[in-house]
Amino acid sequence: MALNKKKIKWITVISLSVVFLVITVCVIIVSQRKQPNDDLRFAREALSEAKEAEADVYSETKYKQATQIYESAMKNWSRENDRFILVRDYGSVISSAQKAKKIAEESKEESIAKADDLSKNVDAAFVSMEKKIELYNKLFKSLPIPRSVFDAHNKSKMFFSESKIAQGNGKLKDAEILFKKAEIYANHANTAAAKMLRDYFNDYGRWKSLANDAIAASRGGNKVILVDKVAHILYVYQSGKIIRSYDVEFGPNWMAHKEQAGDKATPEGNYHITSKKAGGGTGYNKAMLLDYPNAEDRAHFAQMKRQGLISKRAGIGNLIEIHGNGGRGFDWTSGCVGMRDRDIDDLYRVVGSGTRVTIVGSIEPLSTVTGGVDF
Amino acid sequence: MKSKLIIAVAAMGLTVLFSSCQKVPQTEIDAATAAIQEVKDAGADMYVPEAYQALVDSMKSANEKVEVAKAKWFPSYTKAKATLAVVSQMAVDTKAKSEARKVELKAETEAAIVEVKALVEENKGLIAKAPRGKEGREALEAIKADLAVAETTVTEVEGLLANGDLLGSNSKIKAAKEKATSIKAELEEAIAKKGKK
Repeated sequence: MALNKKKIKWITVISLSVVFLVITVCVIIVSQRKQPNDDLRFAREALSEAKEAEADVYSETKYKQATQIYESAMKNWSRENDRFILVRDYGSVISSAQKAKKIAEESKEESIAKADDLSKNVDAAFVSMEKKIELYNKLFKSLPIPRSVFDAHNKSKMFFSESKIAQGNGKLKDAEILFKKAEIYANHANTAAAKMLRDYFNDYGRWKSLANDAIAASRGGNKVILVDKVAHILYVYQSGKIIRSYDVEFGPNWMAHKEQAGDKATPEGNYHITSKKAGGGTGYNKAMLLDYPNAEDRAHFAQMKRQGLISKRAGIGNLIEIHGNGGRGFDWTSGCVGMRDRDIDDLYRVVGSGTRVTIVGSIEPLSTVTGGVDF
Repeated sequence: MKSKLIIAVAAMGLTVLFSSCQKVPQTEIDAATAAIQEVKDAGADMYVPEAYQALVDSMKSANEKVEVAKAKWFPSYTKAKATLAVVSQMAVDTKAKSEARKVELKAETEAAIVEVKALVEENKGLIAKAPRGKEGREALEAIKADLAVAETTVTEVEGLLANGDLLGSNSKIKAAKEKATSIKAELEEAIAKKGKK
Protein backbone atom coordinates (compact mmCIF):
# COMPACT_ATOMS: atom_id res chain seq x y z
CA MET A 1 0.00 0.00 0.00
CA ALA A 2 2.87 2.26 1.02
CA LEU A 3 4.68 1.30 -2.16
CA ASN A 4 1.60 2.11 -4.20
CA LYS A 5 1.31 5.59 -2.64
CA LYS A 6 4.98 6.23 -3.31
CA LYS A 7 4.58 5.00 -6.87
CA ILE A 8 1.54 7.24 -7.45
CA LYS A 9 3.42 10.18 -6.03
CA TRP A 10 6.33 9.54 -8.41
CA ILE A 11 4.03 9.08 -11.38
CA THR A 12 2.29 12.38 -10.51
CA VAL A 13 5.56 14.25 -10.20
CA ILE A 14 6.88 12.82 -13.44
CA SER A 15 3.58 13.52 -15.26
CA LEU A 16 3.44 17.09 -14.00
CA SER A 17 7.06 17.56 -14.99
CA VAL A 18 6.33 16.24 -18.48
CA VAL A 19 3.27 18.49 -18.79
CA PHE A 20 5.30 21.44 -17.52
CA LEU A 21 8.06 20.60 -19.93
CA VAL A 22 5.63 20.28 -22.86
CA ILE A 23 3.95 23.58 -21.96
CA THR A 24 7.33 25.27 -21.61
CA VAL A 25 8.42 23.96 -24.99
CA CYS A 26 5.13 25.09 -26.54
CA VAL A 27 5.41 28.55 -25.02
CA ILE A 28 8.99 28.79 -26.26
CA ILE A 29 7.96 27.65 -29.76
CA VAL A 30 5.05 30.10 -29.90
CA SER A 31 7.01 33.01 -28.45
CA GLN A 32 9.87 32.35 -30.85
CA ARG A 33 7.50 32.34 -33.86
CA LYS A 34 7.63 35.66 -35.73
CA GLN A 35 4.26 37.42 -35.70
CA PRO A 36 3.18 39.28 -38.86
CA ASN A 37 1.75 42.34 -37.10
CA ASP A 38 4.75 44.60 -37.72
CA ASP A 39 4.95 43.64 -41.40
CA LEU A 40 1.25 44.26 -41.87
CA ARG A 41 1.47 47.57 -40.08
CA PHE A 42 4.35 48.61 -42.33
CA ALA A 43 2.37 47.50 -45.38
CA ARG A 44 -0.67 49.48 -44.21
CA GLU A 45 1.44 52.57 -43.59
CA ALA A 46 3.07 52.21 -47.01
CA LEU A 47 -0.37 51.93 -48.59
CA SER A 48 -1.55 54.99 -46.72
CA GLU A 49 1.46 56.98 -47.93
CA ALA A 50 0.88 55.75 -51.48
CA LYS A 51 -2.74 56.88 -51.29
CA GLU A 52 -1.63 60.24 -50.01
CA ALA A 53 0.62 60.49 -53.07
CA GLU A 54 -2.51 59.73 -55.14
CA ALA A 55 -1.17 56.37 -56.27
CA ASP A 56 -4.78 55.24 -56.73
CA VAL A 57 -4.94 57.84 -59.53
CA TYR A 58 -1.46 57.86 -61.05
CA SER A 59 -0.29 54.31 -60.31
CA GLU A 60 -3.65 52.61 -60.24
CA THR A 61 -2.54 49.07 -61.18
CA LYS A 62 0.26 48.83 -58.64
CA TYR A 63 -1.79 50.47 -55.91
CA LYS A 64 -4.66 48.05 -56.49
CA GLN A 65 -2.24 45.12 -56.51
CA ALA A 66 -0.67 46.23 -53.21
CA THR A 67 -4.12 46.71 -51.65
CA GLN A 68 -5.27 43.26 -52.76
CA ILE A 69 -2.11 41.60 -51.43
CA TYR A 70 -2.50 43.42 -48.08
CA GLU A 71 -6.15 42.35 -47.81
CA SER A 72 -5.30 38.79 -48.73
CA ALA A 73 -2.51 38.80 -46.10
CA MET A 74 -5.02 40.00 -43.49
CA LYS A 75 -7.40 37.15 -44.42
CA ASN A 76 -4.58 34.60 -44.23
CA TRP A 77 -3.52 35.96 -40.86
CA SER A 78 -7.06 35.56 -39.58
CA ARG A 79 -7.24 32.04 -41.06
CA GLU A 80 -3.97 31.05 -39.41
CA ASN A 81 -5.17 32.47 -36.10
CA ASP A 82 -8.23 30.24 -36.33
CA ARG A 83 -5.96 27.17 -36.42
CA PHE A 84 -4.53 25.42 -33.32
CA ILE A 85 -1.83 27.64 -31.87
CA LEU A 86 1.00 25.17 -32.32
CA VAL A 87 0.37 24.53 -36.00
CA ARG A 88 -0.04 28.16 -37.09
CA ASP A 89 2.29 29.30 -39.85
CA TYR A 90 2.62 33.02 -40.57
CA GLY A 91 5.29 32.62 -43.23
CA SER A 92 3.03 33.35 -46.19
CA VAL A 93 1.30 36.18 -44.29
CA ILE A 94 4.64 37.84 -43.60
CA SER A 95 5.89 37.44 -47.15
CA SER A 96 2.58 38.80 -48.52
CA ALA A 97 2.75 41.78 -46.15
CA GLN A 98 6.32 42.48 -47.21
CA LYS A 99 5.32 42.19 -50.87
CA ALA A 100 2.35 44.54 -50.32
CA LYS A 101 4.66 47.07 -48.65
CA LYS A 102 7.19 46.87 -51.49
CA ILE A 103 4.55 47.31 -54.20
CA ALA A 104 2.87 50.11 -52.27
CA GLU A 105 6.23 51.92 -52.06
CA GLU A 106 6.79 51.39 -55.77
CA SER A 107 3.32 52.70 -56.55
CA LYS A 108 4.05 55.78 -54.44
CA GLU A 109 7.27 56.41 -56.37
CA GLU A 110 5.54 55.80 -59.68
CA SER A 111 2.67 58.07 -58.70
CA ILE A 112 5.00 60.92 -57.74
CA ALA A 113 6.92 60.56 -61.02
CA LYS A 114 3.77 60.35 -63.12
CA ALA A 115 2.11 63.28 -61.34
CA ASP A 116 5.27 65.27 -61.92
CA ASP A 117 5.29 64.36 -65.61
CA LEU A 118 1.60 65.12 -65.90
CA SER A 119 2.09 68.44 -64.18
CA LYS A 120 4.81 69.34 -66.70
CA ASN A 121 2.65 68.11 -69.58
CA VAL A 122 -0.34 70.09 -68.36
CA ASP A 123 1.85 73.20 -67.99
CA ALA A 124 3.17 72.74 -71.54
CA ALA A 125 -0.34 72.06 -72.83
CA PHE A 126 -1.58 75.24 -71.16
CA VAL A 127 1.13 77.26 -72.90
CA SER A 128 0.14 75.71 -76.23
CA MET A 129 -3.52 76.43 -75.49
CA GLU A 130 -2.77 80.06 -74.61
CA LYS A 131 -1.03 80.33 -77.98
CA LYS A 132 -4.06 78.91 -79.77
CA ILE A 133 -6.36 81.41 -78.08
CA GLU A 134 -3.91 84.22 -78.82
CA LEU A 135 -3.73 83.13 -82.46
CA TYR A 136 -7.50 83.14 -82.72
CA ASN A 137 -7.75 86.57 -81.12
CA LYS A 138 -5.02 87.97 -83.32
CA LEU A 139 -6.01 86.53 -86.69
CA PHE A 140 -9.55 85.32 -86.66
CA LYS A 141 -11.50 87.27 -84.04
CA SER A 142 -12.25 90.17 -86.38
CA LEU A 143 -13.15 87.97 -89.36
CA PRO A 144 -16.76 87.30 -90.33
CA ILE A 145 -16.49 83.70 -89.23
CA PRO A 146 -19.54 81.41 -88.85
CA ARG A 147 -21.31 81.23 -85.52
CA SER A 148 -20.35 77.56 -85.05
CA VAL A 149 -16.65 78.49 -85.18
CA PHE A 150 -17.23 81.33 -82.77
CA ASP A 151 -19.04 79.00 -80.37
CA ALA A 152 -16.31 76.37 -80.60
CA HIS A 153 -13.71 78.97 -79.68
CA ASN A 154 -15.75 80.14 -76.69
CA LYS A 155 -16.38 76.59 -75.51
CA SER A 156 -12.67 75.90 -75.71
CA LYS A 157 -12.01 78.92 -73.50
CA MET A 158 -14.61 77.71 -71.00
CA PHE A 159 -13.13 74.20 -70.75
CA PHE A 160 -9.70 75.76 -70.52
CA SER A 161 -10.83 77.84 -67.53
CA GLU A 162 -12.26 74.73 -65.89
CA SER A 163 -9.04 72.88 -66.59
CA LYS A 164 -7.02 75.65 -64.93
CA ILE A 165 -9.30 75.52 -61.88
CA ALA A 166 -8.81 71.74 -61.66
CA GLN A 167 -5.05 72.22 -61.92
CA GLY A 168 -5.21 74.83 -59.18
CA ASN A 169 -7.02 72.29 -56.98
CA GLY A 170 -4.28 69.73 -57.67
CA LYS A 171 -6.64 67.56 -59.74
CA LEU A 172 -4.21 67.03 -62.57
CA LYS A 173 -6.10 64.13 -64.17
CA ASP A 174 -9.28 66.21 -64.28
CA ALA A 175 -7.26 69.15 -65.60
CA GLU A 176 -5.92 66.92 -68.36
CA ILE A 177 -9.39 65.63 -69.31
CA LEU A 178 -10.85 69.15 -69.39
CA PHE A 179 -7.86 70.46 -71.27
CA LYS A 180 -8.30 67.79 -73.95
CA LYS A 181 -11.91 68.92 -74.42
CA ALA A 182 -10.72 72.53 -74.66
CA GLU A 183 -8.10 71.51 -77.19
CA ILE A 184 -10.64 69.74 -79.41
CA TYR A 185 -12.82 72.87 -79.57
CA ALA A 186 -9.84 75.20 -80.03
CA ASN A 187 -8.45 73.06 -82.84
CA HIS A 188 -11.84 72.97 -84.52
CA ALA A 189 -12.25 76.76 -84.27
CA ASN A 190 -8.71 77.58 -85.40
CA THR A 191 -8.69 75.02 -88.22
CA ALA A 192 -12.03 76.20 -89.58
CA ALA A 193 -11.08 79.88 -89.32
CA ALA A 194 -7.63 79.27 -90.83
CA LYS A 195 -9.13 77.36 -93.73
CA MET A 196 -11.57 80.19 -94.35
CA LEU A 197 -8.75 82.72 -94.36
CA ARG A 198 -6.50 80.58 -96.59
CA ASP A 199 -9.36 79.89 -98.99
CA TYR A 200 -10.07 83.60 -99.19
CA PHE A 201 -6.44 84.31 -99.99
CA ASN A 202 -6.51 81.83 -102.87
CA ASP A 203 -7.44 84.90 -104.94
CA TYR A 204 -4.39 86.82 -103.81
CA GLY A 205 -2.64 86.50 -107.20
CA ARG A 206 -5.62 88.16 -108.90
CA TRP A 207 -5.85 90.87 -106.21
CA LYS A 208 -2.15 91.63 -106.52
CA SER A 209 -2.44 91.97 -110.27
CA LEU A 210 -5.56 94.21 -109.93
CA ALA A 211 -3.77 96.37 -107.33
CA ASN A 212 -0.61 96.67 -109.48
CA ASP A 213 -2.72 97.65 -112.50
CA ALA A 214 -4.57 100.25 -110.43
CA ILE A 215 -1.32 101.77 -109.11
CA ALA A 216 0.16 101.72 -112.63
CA ALA A 217 -2.97 103.46 -113.96
CA SER A 218 -2.39 106.28 -111.45
CA ARG A 219 1.14 106.93 -112.79
CA GLY A 220 -0.10 109.21 -115.56
CA GLY A 221 -1.39 111.60 -112.88
CA ASN A 222 -4.89 110.14 -112.67
CA LYS A 223 -6.38 109.56 -109.25
CA VAL A 224 -7.24 105.92 -108.60
CA ILE A 225 -9.04 104.47 -105.59
CA LEU A 226 -7.73 101.19 -104.24
CA VAL A 227 -9.74 99.47 -101.51
CA ASP A 228 -8.11 96.82 -99.30
CA LYS A 229 -10.91 94.80 -97.67
CA VAL A 230 -8.80 92.87 -95.15
CA ALA A 231 -7.07 96.07 -93.98
CA HIS A 232 -10.38 97.98 -94.15
CA ILE A 233 -8.56 100.88 -95.83
CA LEU A 234 -9.40 102.95 -98.89
CA TYR A 235 -6.32 104.47 -100.62
CA VAL A 236 -6.27 107.25 -103.16
CA TYR A 237 -3.29 106.88 -105.50
CA GLN A 238 -1.90 109.51 -107.81
CA SER A 239 1.32 109.21 -109.82
CA GLY A 240 1.94 105.83 -108.17
CA LYS A 241 1.82 107.32 -104.69
CA ILE A 242 -0.74 107.25 -101.89
CA ILE A 243 -2.19 110.74 -101.47
CA ARG A 244 -5.05 109.82 -99.12
CA SER A 245 -6.08 106.87 -96.98
CA TYR A 246 -9.24 106.31 -94.93
CA ASP A 247 -10.64 103.62 -92.65
CA VAL A 248 -13.67 101.99 -94.24
CA GLU A 249 -16.40 99.49 -93.41
CA PHE A 250 -18.16 96.89 -95.55
CA GLY A 251 -21.04 94.46 -95.40
CA PRO A 252 -21.03 91.78 -92.67
CA ASN A 253 -20.13 89.14 -95.27
CA TRP A 254 -17.20 91.16 -96.60
CA MET A 255 -14.79 88.21 -96.77
CA ALA A 256 -16.26 87.09 -100.09
CA HIS A 257 -16.77 88.44 -103.57
CA LYS A 258 -20.28 89.73 -104.16
CA GLU A 259 -22.24 87.13 -106.12
CA GLN A 260 -25.89 88.11 -105.82
CA ALA A 261 -28.28 90.65 -104.40
CA GLY A 262 -28.66 90.58 -100.64
CA ASP A 263 -25.50 88.56 -99.89
CA LYS A 264 -24.06 91.50 -97.88
CA ALA A 265 -20.72 91.02 -99.65
CA THR A 266 -18.62 93.78 -101.18
CA PRO A 267 -17.58 93.15 -104.80
CA GLU A 268 -13.94 92.71 -105.82
CA GLY A 269 -12.62 93.96 -109.16
CA ASN A 270 -12.25 97.09 -111.25
CA TYR A 271 -15.08 99.63 -111.11
CA HIS A 272 -15.61 103.31 -111.80
CA ILE A 273 -17.52 106.09 -110.11
CA THR A 274 -20.55 106.64 -112.32
CA SER A 275 -22.18 109.42 -110.33
CA LYS A 276 -21.72 111.51 -107.20
CA LYS A 277 -24.57 112.23 -104.83
CA ALA A 278 -24.89 114.81 -102.06
CA GLY A 279 -27.62 116.54 -100.10
CA GLY A 280 -31.02 115.06 -100.90
CA GLY A 281 -29.51 112.67 -103.46
CA THR A 282 -28.42 110.22 -100.78
CA GLY A 283 -29.31 109.19 -97.27
CA TYR A 284 -25.62 108.71 -96.44
CA ASN A 285 -24.35 112.30 -96.34
CA LYS A 286 -22.49 111.85 -99.62
CA ALA A 287 -22.24 108.88 -101.98
CA MET A 288 -20.39 107.80 -105.11
CA LEU A 289 -22.14 105.14 -107.14
CA LEU A 290 -20.00 102.40 -108.71
CA ASP A 291 -20.66 100.58 -111.96
CA TYR A 292 -21.29 97.25 -110.25
CA PRO A 293 -22.05 94.83 -111.80
CA ASN A 294 -19.40 95.10 -114.52
CA ALA A 295 -19.12 92.73 -117.45
CA GLU A 296 -16.95 90.31 -115.51
CA ASP A 297 -19.48 90.23 -112.63
CA ARG A 298 -22.31 89.53 -115.07
CA ALA A 299 -20.39 86.69 -116.71
CA HIS A 300 -19.53 85.20 -113.31
CA PHE A 301 -23.13 85.55 -112.15
CA ALA A 302 -24.43 83.83 -115.30
CA GLN A 303 -21.95 80.99 -114.87
CA MET A 304 -22.91 80.51 -111.22
CA LYS A 305 -26.56 80.33 -112.25
CA ARG A 306 -25.82 77.82 -115.00
CA GLN A 307 -23.96 75.66 -112.53
CA GLY A 308 -26.87 75.88 -110.12
CA LEU A 309 -24.66 77.43 -107.45
CA ILE A 310 -27.15 80.25 -106.96
CA SER A 311 -30.92 80.31 -107.24
CA LYS A 312 -32.43 80.86 -110.67
CA ARG A 313 -34.55 83.62 -109.16
CA ALA A 314 -31.54 85.43 -107.63
CA GLY A 315 -30.65 88.91 -108.85
CA ILE A 316 -27.09 90.15 -109.31
CA GLY A 317 -27.62 93.25 -107.17
CA ASN A 318 -26.68 96.88 -107.79
CA LEU A 319 -26.33 100.29 -106.16
CA ILE A 320 -22.89 99.56 -104.73
CA GLU A 321 -21.58 102.90 -103.49
CA ILE A 322 -18.85 104.51 -101.51
CA HIS A 323 -20.81 106.49 -98.97
CA GLY A 324 -20.86 108.19 -95.59
CA ASN A 325 -22.60 107.52 -92.27
CA GLY A 326 -19.78 105.14 -91.40
CA GLY A 327 -17.21 105.06 -88.64
CA ARG A 328 -19.45 102.70 -86.70
CA GLY A 329 -16.63 100.31 -85.97
CA PHE A 330 -18.25 97.31 -87.57
CA ASP A 331 -19.22 96.02 -90.99
CA TRP A 332 -22.76 97.18 -91.34
CA THR A 333 -23.42 98.09 -95.00
CA SER A 334 -25.27 95.97 -97.51
CA GLY A 335 -22.07 95.56 -99.51
CA CYS A 336 -21.15 99.23 -100.03
CA VAL A 337 -17.96 100.89 -98.80
CA GLY A 338 -18.88 102.94 -95.72
CA MET A 339 -16.82 105.92 -94.57
CA ARG A 340 -16.95 108.51 -91.79
CA ASP A 341 -18.76 111.64 -92.94
CA ARG A 342 -15.65 113.82 -92.66
CA ASP A 343 -13.73 111.29 -94.77
CA ILE A 344 -16.38 111.05 -97.51
CA ASP A 345 -16.49 114.87 -97.54
CA ASP A 346 -12.77 114.89 -98.21
CA LEU A 347 -12.86 112.10 -100.78
CA TYR A 348 -15.83 113.69 -102.49
CA ARG A 349 -13.67 116.78 -103.08
CA VAL A 350 -10.63 114.80 -104.23
CA VAL A 351 -12.12 112.43 -106.80
CA GLY A 352 -14.60 112.89 -109.58
CA SER A 353 -16.97 110.79 -111.67
CA GLY A 354 -15.18 108.28 -113.84
CA THR A 355 -12.47 107.66 -111.21
CA ARG A 356 -11.28 104.08 -111.26
CA VAL A 357 -12.11 102.12 -108.09
CA THR A 358 -10.29 98.83 -107.60
CA ILE A 359 -11.50 96.68 -104.74
CA VAL A 360 -9.32 93.75 -103.64
CA GLY A 361 -9.35 91.30 -100.77
CA SER A 362 -5.87 92.32 -99.72
CA ILE A 363 -2.90 94.19 -101.14
CA GLU A 364 -0.56 92.28 -98.84
CA PRO A 365 0.02 88.53 -98.98
CA LEU A 366 -1.39 86.31 -96.25
CA SER A 367 2.02 85.92 -94.57
CA THR A 368 2.25 89.71 -94.15
CA VAL A 369 -1.34 90.05 -93.00
CA THR A 370 -0.79 87.41 -90.33
CA GLY A 371 2.50 88.99 -89.30
CA GLY A 372 4.38 85.81 -90.20
CA VAL A 373 2.40 83.86 -87.62
CA ASP A 374 2.35 80.17 -88.44
CA PHE A 375 -1.18 78.77 -88.26
CA MET B 1 -7.73 19.27 3.22
CA LYS B 2 -4.77 19.27 0.89
CA SER B 3 -6.77 17.85 -2.02
CA LYS B 4 -9.50 20.45 -1.47
CA LEU B 5 -6.92 23.18 -1.78
CA ILE B 6 -5.61 21.70 -5.03
CA ILE B 7 -9.16 21.54 -6.41
CA ALA B 8 -9.77 25.19 -5.45
CA VAL B 9 -6.54 26.34 -7.11
CA ALA B 10 -7.34 24.31 -10.25
CA ALA B 11 -10.86 25.79 -10.41
CA MET B 12 -9.49 29.31 -10.07
CA GLY B 13 -6.93 28.62 -12.77
CA LEU B 14 -9.64 27.37 -15.12
CA THR B 15 -11.80 30.44 -14.37
CA VAL B 16 -8.90 32.75 -15.17
CA LEU B 17 -8.10 30.73 -18.30
CA PHE B 18 -11.65 30.89 -19.69
CA SER B 19 -12.24 34.48 -18.72
CA SER B 20 -9.07 35.41 -20.65
CA CYS B 21 -10.22 33.57 -23.78
CA GLN B 22 -12.53 36.31 -25.06
CA LYS B 23 -14.43 36.07 -28.33
CA VAL B 24 -13.59 38.13 -31.40
CA PRO B 25 -15.60 41.41 -31.13
CA GLN B 26 -17.53 40.63 -34.31
CA THR B 27 -20.47 42.86 -33.38
CA GLU B 28 -18.15 45.86 -33.01
CA ILE B 29 -16.30 44.96 -36.24
CA ASP B 30 -19.56 44.66 -38.16
CA ALA B 31 -20.88 47.91 -36.72
CA ALA B 32 -17.69 49.80 -37.63
CA THR B 33 -17.65 48.28 -41.14
CA ALA B 34 -21.29 49.23 -41.70
CA ALA B 35 -20.62 52.74 -40.40
CA ILE B 36 -17.72 53.14 -42.86
CA GLN B 37 -19.89 51.93 -45.74
CA GLU B 38 -22.54 54.46 -44.71
CA VAL B 39 -19.91 57.20 -44.71
CA LYS B 40 -18.75 56.14 -48.18
CA ASP B 41 -22.34 56.08 -49.44
CA ALA B 42 -22.66 59.66 -48.16
CA GLY B 43 -19.83 60.56 -50.57
CA ALA B 44 -17.21 61.24 -47.90
CA ASP B 45 -14.49 59.77 -50.14
CA MET B 46 -15.23 62.64 -52.57
CA TYR B 47 -16.16 65.49 -50.27
CA VAL B 48 -13.76 64.91 -47.35
CA PRO B 49 -11.19 62.48 -48.86
CA GLU B 50 -8.54 63.00 -46.19
CA ALA B 51 -10.90 62.38 -43.28
CA TYR B 52 -12.31 59.34 -45.10
CA GLN B 53 -8.84 57.92 -45.70
CA ALA B 54 -7.96 58.39 -42.02
CA LEU B 55 -11.12 56.47 -41.14
CA VAL B 56 -10.27 53.60 -43.49
CA ASP B 57 -6.71 53.44 -42.12
CA SER B 58 -8.04 53.35 -38.56
CA MET B 59 -10.32 50.45 -39.45
CA LYS B 60 -7.38 48.57 -40.92
CA SER B 61 -5.44 49.24 -37.74
CA ALA B 62 -8.37 47.93 -35.66
CA ASN B 63 -8.50 44.75 -37.74
CA GLU B 64 -4.78 44.27 -37.18
CA LYS B 65 -5.30 44.71 -33.43
CA VAL B 66 -8.01 42.06 -33.51
CA GLU B 67 -5.62 39.62 -35.18
CA VAL B 68 -2.77 40.50 -32.82
CA ALA B 69 -5.08 39.62 -29.93
CA LYS B 70 -6.35 36.51 -31.65
CA ALA B 71 -2.80 35.22 -32.09
CA LYS B 72 -2.20 35.09 -28.35
CA TRP B 73 -2.63 32.11 -25.99
CA PHE B 74 -5.20 34.00 -24.03
CA PRO B 75 -6.74 36.61 -26.38
CA SER B 76 -7.86 39.91 -24.93
CA TYR B 77 -9.67 42.26 -27.34
CA THR B 78 -9.81 45.26 -25.04
CA LYS B 79 -7.43 47.36 -27.19
CA ALA B 80 -9.10 46.28 -30.42
CA LYS B 81 -12.53 47.11 -29.01
CA ALA B 82 -11.30 50.54 -27.94
CA THR B 83 -9.95 51.18 -31.45
CA LEU B 84 -13.21 49.96 -33.00
CA ALA B 85 -15.13 52.34 -30.75
CA VAL B 86 -12.88 55.17 -31.96
CA VAL B 87 -13.49 54.08 -35.59
CA SER B 88 -17.25 54.10 -35.06
CA GLN B 89 -17.06 57.59 -33.58
CA MET B 90 -14.76 58.71 -36.40
CA ALA B 91 -17.32 57.40 -38.89
CA VAL B 92 -20.02 59.53 -37.30
CA ASP B 93 -17.74 62.58 -37.36
CA THR B 94 -16.62 61.97 -40.95
CA LYS B 95 -20.18 61.59 -42.13
CA ALA B 96 -21.08 64.85 -40.40
CA LYS B 97 -18.06 66.56 -42.01
CA SER B 98 -19.06 65.19 -45.39
CA GLU B 99 -22.63 66.41 -45.00
CA ALA B 100 -21.39 69.81 -43.86
CA ARG B 101 -19.03 70.03 -46.87
CA LYS B 102 -21.91 69.13 -49.17
CA VAL B 103 -24.08 71.85 -47.67
CA GLU B 104 -21.17 74.30 -47.94
CA LEU B 105 -20.48 73.36 -51.57
CA LYS B 106 -24.13 73.61 -52.50
CA ALA B 107 -24.45 77.01 -50.85
CA GLU B 108 -21.22 78.16 -52.53
CA THR B 109 -22.44 77.01 -55.95
CA GLU B 110 -25.87 78.54 -55.48
CA ALA B 111 -24.33 81.84 -54.41
CA ALA B 112 -21.99 81.72 -57.42
CA ILE B 113 -24.94 81.06 -59.73
CA VAL B 114 -26.63 84.20 -58.40
CA GLU B 115 -23.37 86.14 -58.81
CA VAL B 116 -22.80 84.91 -62.37
CA LYS B 117 -26.39 85.69 -63.34
CA ALA B 118 -25.95 89.21 -61.95
CA LEU B 119 -22.62 89.57 -63.74
CA VAL B 120 -24.18 88.44 -67.03
CA GLU B 121 -26.91 91.05 -66.67
CA GLU B 122 -24.37 93.69 -65.68
CA ASN B 123 -22.23 92.79 -68.69
CA LYS B 124 -25.23 93.08 -70.99
CA GLY B 125 -25.70 96.62 -69.71
CA LEU B 126 -22.00 97.37 -70.22
CA ILE B 127 -22.12 96.03 -73.79
CA ALA B 128 -24.72 98.68 -74.58
CA LYS B 129 -22.33 101.36 -73.29
CA ALA B 130 -19.18 99.91 -74.87
CA PRO B 131 -17.43 101.84 -77.63
CA ARG B 132 -17.82 100.69 -81.20
CA GLY B 133 -14.59 101.99 -82.62
CA LYS B 134 -12.55 100.23 -85.27
CA GLU B 135 -13.15 96.50 -84.91
CA GLY B 136 -15.31 97.34 -81.91
CA ARG B 137 -18.32 95.56 -83.27
CA GLU B 138 -16.44 92.32 -83.88
CA ALA B 139 -14.96 92.53 -80.41
CA LEU B 140 -18.42 93.09 -78.96
CA GLU B 141 -19.81 90.19 -80.94
CA ALA B 142 -17.04 88.02 -79.52
CA ILE B 143 -17.83 89.27 -76.02
CA LYS B 144 -21.53 88.57 -76.53
CA ALA B 145 -20.73 85.04 -77.62
CA ASP B 146 -18.46 84.64 -74.60
CA LEU B 147 -21.27 85.85 -72.40
CA ALA B 148 -23.68 83.43 -74.04
CA VAL B 149 -21.33 80.58 -73.14
CA ALA B 150 -21.26 81.79 -69.51
CA GLU B 151 -25.09 81.93 -69.54
CA THR B 152 -25.34 78.41 -70.99
CA THR B 153 -22.93 77.19 -68.33
CA VAL B 154 -25.21 78.56 -65.61
CA THR B 155 -28.07 76.45 -67.00
CA GLU B 156 -25.77 73.41 -67.17
CA VAL B 157 -24.65 74.02 -63.59
CA GLU B 158 -28.24 74.22 -62.37
CA GLY B 159 -28.87 70.85 -63.99
CA LEU B 160 -25.76 69.32 -62.42
CA LEU B 161 -26.73 70.70 -59.03
CA ALA B 162 -30.22 69.24 -59.34
CA ASN B 163 -28.62 65.86 -60.11
CA GLY B 164 -26.46 66.10 -57.00
CA ASP B 165 -23.14 66.64 -58.80
CA LEU B 166 -21.86 69.14 -56.26
CA LEU B 167 -18.19 69.04 -57.20
CA GLY B 168 -18.77 69.20 -60.98
CA SER B 169 -21.27 72.03 -60.67
CA ASN B 170 -18.94 73.93 -58.31
CA SER B 171 -15.91 73.87 -60.62
CA LYS B 172 -18.08 74.71 -63.66
CA ILE B 173 -19.67 77.73 -62.00
CA LYS B 174 -16.24 78.91 -60.86
CA ALA B 175 -15.08 78.86 -64.49
CA ALA B 176 -18.23 80.71 -65.56
CA LYS B 177 -17.66 83.30 -62.83
CA GLU B 178 -14.08 83.75 -63.94
CA LYS B 179 -15.26 84.27 -67.51
CA ALA B 180 -18.05 86.69 -66.60
CA THR B 181 -15.63 88.65 -64.37
CA SER B 182 -13.00 88.88 -67.11
CA ILE B 183 -15.65 90.04 -69.60
CA LYS B 184 -16.72 92.72 -67.13
CA ALA B 185 -13.12 93.88 -66.70
CA GLU B 186 -12.65 93.95 -70.50
CA LEU B 187 -15.80 96.00 -71.00
CA GLU B 188 -15.04 98.39 -68.14
CA GLU B 189 -11.55 98.96 -69.51
CA ALA B 190 -12.93 99.71 -72.98
CA ILE B 191 -15.54 102.08 -71.53
CA ALA B 192 -12.91 103.81 -69.38
CA LYS B 193 -10.67 104.32 -72.43
CA LYS B 194 -13.60 105.72 -74.34
CA GLY B 195 -14.25 108.14 -71.44
CA LYS B 196 -10.63 109.38 -71.50
CA LYS B 197 -10.84 110.09 -75.23
